[in-house]
Amino acid sequence: MRELWLVCLLASSAFAQAGTFGAFTNSDDVGAPPIKGSAEFDAATGQYKITGSGSDIWAKADQFHYVWREMSGNFAVTATAQFLTEGNEHRKAVIMLRKSLDTDSPFVHLVIHGNGMPGVQFRNTKGDNTNTVDLPIEGPGTFKMKLVRQGATITVSIAKDAGAWRELGHTDNQLGSPVLVGLGVSSHTQTATNTVLFSNVSVEQLAPPAGRKQ
Amino acid sequence: MRELSLICLLAASAFAQSGNLGAFTNSGDVGGPSKKGSTEFNASNGHYRITGSGANIWAKQDQFQFVWREMSGNFTVTATMQFLGQGEDHRKAGIMLRQSLDTDSPYGDIVIHGNGMPGIQWRSTKGEDTNTFDLPFDGPGKYTVKLARNGVGLTVSIAKDGAELKQVGRTEVRFQNPILVGLAVCSHKADASDTVVFSDVSVEQVAPPPAKKQ
Repeated sequence: MRELWLVCLLASSAFAQAGTFGAFTNSDDVGAPPIKGSAEFDAATGQYKITGSGSDIWAKADQFHYVWREMSGNFAVTATAQFLTEGNEHRKAVIMLRKSLDTDSPFVHLVIHGNGMPGVQFRNTKGDNTNTVDLPIEGPGTFKMKLVRQGATITVSIAKDAGAWRELGHTDNQLGSPVLVGLGVSSHTQTATNTVLFSNVSVEQLAPPAGRKQ
Repeated sequence: MRELSLICLLAASAFAQSGNLGAFTNSGDVGGPSKKGSTEFNASNGHYRITGSGANIWAKQDQFQFVWREMSGNFTVTATMQFLGQGEDHRKAGIMLRQSLDTDSPYGDIVIHGNGMPGIQWRSTKGEDTNTFDLPFDGPGKYTVKLARNGVGLTVSIAKDGAELKQVGRTEVRFQNPILVGLAVCSHKADASDTVVFSDVSVEQVAPPPAKKQ
């Protein structure tokens, strides 16, 4: 009887977790930051309030809070990010593709920093240094962010406040399938948290692309 | 006597090579493309006419024509470039920083492809796959490109057809000083060559930056 209870509890907990995160299935800290993060999904508004701590998503290892699902093939992820807390100017809100939950896993993400600087950053192989492309800053604000994966090509776009969508560029990435797809938040310091509100989140599976060469 | 002639010839040839390349000191092919490249510097108008072949500057190794000098520390390189004739969409030319003349050397560059697409590309460690970030573009033309090295940061700016230079992005490559600084041309096809005319070329050493954190 006790075992049955436990099974029911686990089943209901797993079900609740999947149901609680809208387009995503799971939420957890990556890299064990000393201050635990959290994620709340409001089904009525479709908004995600994600609180993350952690030194950074950078160099050879990452600390942040992640909300994700597993996907394969081609897809588009769109989200509007608004920082709700002050903090380090390089605190991050990201749309991230990640191979695993390991702190030094390969990843690629579109990031908006606290000061409004967009960037595309990636770790190609486990434990490798993070590569970065920092893009020109228009200043802090609310940013629509979009990441599209078509084959090995990752194309990123942003729109600031009520502005029009602008494609920033594209990079090549060999993460493959399946891959974890989600939203991440890091405070860029172990002694504080950073809360970001993500709204208008969509995750869309896309058909395979026509052949494309570099 | 024959040996003396040979020595004189070699000495004269070496002198001519360094004296004729304006802001740079050397030119040559990297990666042994099957069609040899060439560089002509016109001291009266400051134009470099660089012809390069080679499969690509991409993946784990490169083939192209390079015109370079050795530098350390922080500096800015500016050049205006135009492809002559037709060629591959992804033929490329631009400003390159390179650790060595090895075909798989670390490098960082700003290139304009034949179709006008700007790209920031880099290989962080010897033999690694090339990383890329390709920027939105509106077609071929005469491009002014600028690459500024500031510590580990490489900041790039672009202007098309005489417009004002606009910063488009920044990446990081950890080179060891000294490094090779120069201009590169690649046909993106082993059995073709492309010629690019570079004008208004400047190479300027700048003072070290104040400490900057990521």
